[in-house]
Amino acid sequence: MKSLATVLQDWEAVIGLEVHTELTTLGSKMFCGCKIEYGAPPNTHVCPVCLGMPGALPVPNRAAIESIVLAGLATGCDIEKHSMFYRKHYFYPDMAKNFQTTQGPVAFCMRGTLDLEVLGASAGERTHLQGTTPLAREEGYLTRIGITRIHMEEDAGKLVHVGGESGRISGADYSLVDYNRCGMPLIELVTEPDLRTPEEARLFLQKLRTIYLTLAISNCSMEQGSLRCDGNVSLRPRGSEKLGTKTELKNMNSFKNLHDGLAYEICRQAEVLEEGGRVRQETRHWEPASRRTISMRSKETADDYRLFPDPDLAPYHLSDEFIQRVAARLPELPDARVARYLAAYVLNAADARALAGEIELARFFDAALEAGSSKLAKPLANLLLNEVSAYLNTESVALAETRLDPQHLAELAGLVADGTISSMQGRQVLALVFARGVSPAELVEELGIRQVSDTGEIEAVAQTVLDNNADKVAEYRAGKTKLLGFFVGEAMKATGGTANPKLLNQTFQRLLS
Amino acid sequence: MTLSPAEYASLSLGDIRTGLDRRHFSARELAEAAFAAIEALEAGRVEAFLSLTPELALRAADEVDAQLAAGSGVADIGLLAGVPLGFKDNMNLLGSYTTCGSRMLENYESTLNATCVSKALAAGALPMGKLNMDEFAFGSSTETSSFKKTHNPWDLERVPGGSSGGSAAAVASGMLTASLGSDTGGSIRQPASFCGVVGFKPSYGVVSRYGVVAFGSSLDQVGPFARSVADVAALTDAICGYDPLDCTSQDVPASFSASVVAGQSDGIKGMRVGVVSEYLEAPGITTEVVLAFKEALRHVQDLGATIVELELPNAYAALSAYYVIGPCEAFSNLSRFDAVRYGFCVEGATNLTEQYELSRAQGFGLETKRRILLGNYLLSSGVYTTYYYPAQQVRTLITQDYRRAFEQADVLLTPTSPRTAFRFGEVSDPTSMHLSDIFTIPINIAGNGGLNLPVGLGEESGLPVGLQIIGPQFKDGNILRVAAALEATYDIERLAPLSGALSGGAA
Repeated sequence: MKSLATVLQDWEAVIGLEVHTELTTLGSKMFCGCKIEYGAPPNTHVCPVCLGMPGALPVPNRAAIESIVLAGLATGCDIEKHSMFYRKHYFYPDMAKNFQTTQGPVAFCMRGTLDLEVLGASAGERTHLQGTTPLAREEGYLTRIGITRIHMEEDAGKLVHVGGESGRISGADYSLVDYNRCGMPLIELVTEPDLRTPEEARLFLQKLRTIYLTLAISNCSMEQGSLRCDGNVSLRPRGSEKLGTKTELKNMNSFKNLHDGLAYEICRQAEVLEEGGRVRQETRHWEPASRRTISMRSKETADDYRLFPDPDLAPYHLSDEFIQRVAARLPELPDARVARYLAAYVLNAADARALAGEIELARFFDAALEAGSSKLAKPLANLLLNEVSAYLNTESVALAETRLDPQHLAELAGLVADGTISSMQGRQVLALVFARGVSPAELVEELGIRQVSDTGEIEAVAQTVLDNNADKVAEYRAGKTKLLGFFVGEAMKATGGTANPKLLNQTFQRLLS
Repeated sequence: MTLSPAEYASLSLGDIRTGLDRRHFSARELAEAAFAAIEALEAGRVEAFLSLTPELALRAADEVDAQLAAGSGVADIGLLAGVPLGFKDNMNLLGSYTTCGSRMLENYESTLNATCVSKALAAGALPMGKLNMDEFAFGSSTETSSFKKTHNPWDLERVPGGSSGGSAAAVASGMLTASLGSDTGGSIRQPASFCGVVGFKPSYGVVSRYGVVAFGSSLDQVGPFARSVADVAALTDAICGYDPLDCTSQDVPASFSASVVAGQSDGIKGMRVGVVSEYLEAPGITTEVVLAFKEALRHVQDLGATIVELELPNAYAALSAYYVIGPCEAFSNLSRFDAVRYGFCVEGATNLTEQYELSRAQGFGLETKRRILLGNYLLSSGVYTTYYYPAQQVRTLITQDYRRAFEQADVLLTPTSPRTAFRFGEVSDPTSMHLSDIFTIPINIAGNGGLNLPVGLGEESGLPVGLQIIGPQFKDGNILRVAAALEATYDIERLAPLSGALSGGAA
């Protein structure tokens, strides 16, 4: 099979996404009072309503409507004041009523957009840049992705197939159903077919996730399935306006899988087309282990879900007052945050974007700056994006679960910035703050680790190093000036990392000249 | 001081209240007399019940008696203290089976109390048992029940009407003082008419639908059967009101009894009573029904009300809209009966699809399958826009018709049914069966309230004839006021002659 880059020279990929997000931060399900809890014992959060018992009736969760309106406002959607719930019928044991309550032609949120900045090597994958804006100073482009709609629906239960191969239904002895997830509030976002590369798709999903996390409407865990993404992809020859036959891709449960699944499918379709074949309209399953997509079922005859307005749920009317009240709750969104960081602080665009892209880091950054001076922006960003992120990755914890607080991080950045301690000492102190949750200033005091910036002391240490390494001094003088690093290193070792590296450098240069 | 079944059978809600207050009888004696009446009239005669719940009834009776013994007055206990009450078998009652008259739910035990049930119980009612009905309420004769045929107490060779046939027959025979039914296209009013009792379908939303197994969610409404207007008003007061579990329910004050008092004391002088003359030429309408209706109009005029001729230009299309919307909603609501979690399930199916298909094929009866298939077809893509969508538009027009009509009238009168009760099997094709509901169906389409008031026996058939009193939406007080005033102008026996068997007389 040809590589993605090669395929995209001749073919244009047309990609649309469907993103399902469970509103995990709500207290109860969409149409009943059952609690939302991931990983609870099977069928412990169920009631007559979500089990579809005879006579039970749904009552919409108002907080879920607020959440979807927040999502709509954050993605530039028009909020429809009049919309309805519909019933979508299909027989399967994961949906107790054998219909899913969802929305009809008019969803709560319609016609939104999301802007993507595509940078770096993968920006080159989009060969046809019409409709995009080139980004100044950087390799890349800005493109606007249309959002068709975001609608409200309920999730289905979970089937567990027992006895078959790797949990698949075929060959299973029996199947179990867990209805804990049945009736979970779910919002489905559908994009326009505006995406052109797997990288754009990945960026879209990442950005959407950051927005949802900023809105605190979901924990957006692809691992736990609270954020799920399906892709629709078709190819057309470069320059052609006519859409090709699309396939629908499922099981892309990580950003990497989304990217790789789409990339594989684009290459697969190109091969089929280049060999004179025809792409079948079907649903395909991405298998990360074998790195290929396999056909699940043909979609050439459309399913007939017999959608009609749910007569148990009156048409929904959102008042202007309600929409305004929700709008007032909108937090600062990632794009606005980047703009603010660039305007207010000395930060480069990449750092600003990286911070804004991780809502937890961004909130911590803001809180630390509130505690410290805005001059600390750069060192704080460095600490968060490097040392702190590394710690969180290694320990697999969330920032909120650590003993670090924003005041302490600001204090630490201040101690490094004013030269009280070296950055190496800073790392040492940070590790202790994570471990003990105490103030960096106190730690510095307690450990007596101060950066040595006294010129006399520094000179004495430097002289000792030179005296102990006469051979190296000779080599240096003979032209091997790279040895300066060695001398500084030795001096740092001798002082236990307390010497001011800048002063050491200057001192050695002077003594050796 | 034992209460005889015959004495019991003649009691009204007011009599029960007085009797308990004056210690003429206890609630337990009421319950026991009721079960004795059932013992005498049920098996081989009326066959109104699908199940009896003596344990629940006696326990409730003992609670009422304990409260009375502790010094509570009947009024403190509740509007229905000590009242032997039956529930249509589509109403969930904890401790009972709720079969909906269907083999599909033959062994289904309720997991909850319907709101109308829990409100009745909270008001002190004694839950006597569950009443026969057309399967899932699809029918007008109770003949489509999977389990038994209920007989009209006025003539055991005839149907009690339907779908709430058991509820109507149990009250008309004297086995129950009152019962609850549900009405999707006339299922309270038509059997009340056939059995000669008062049956009231309030405006859509007055009584919560929670816990009542749905047929047509946008059409279904719960209401009471009793032998007097005052009794149905008190029952409605007990069960009405907004329910947080049913978002289509309405916040309606319990002022129905007050409207009855107004009708009895102030009359209806000056009220505007609407009629639609063409209705008297409706297909299949019998002369005795027309005569009884005209007589009712004379009573209304004698009471000082004004007769107003009304036009409902789109009402003719109500049946068509009903037979689109009803099956569509029914198809959807009945999807949940799939043999997976509860209900009838065939043995030995080899895969899931087969289990679905065989269980539904064997669990549902013919009329139910007919409605499911019809709804399934009407909602399919391409067909939806031809039927369902226009039906909703028609519904809007009909609703507007009624709204406009009620600007000129305070109530509208029609016959309840074009004819009196028919013989078993006499009406066999579905279309003719549907015609027995021509006067009641438009009211469910529009969402208004309607009540059946017995207005005597037909000159030809000797069977009960009913008058339907319809009110503006959510002004159900108008209906009860007119019904109470009109009721007083008749001297009608509400108990069917069969009840004579209770005092040893001939049935």
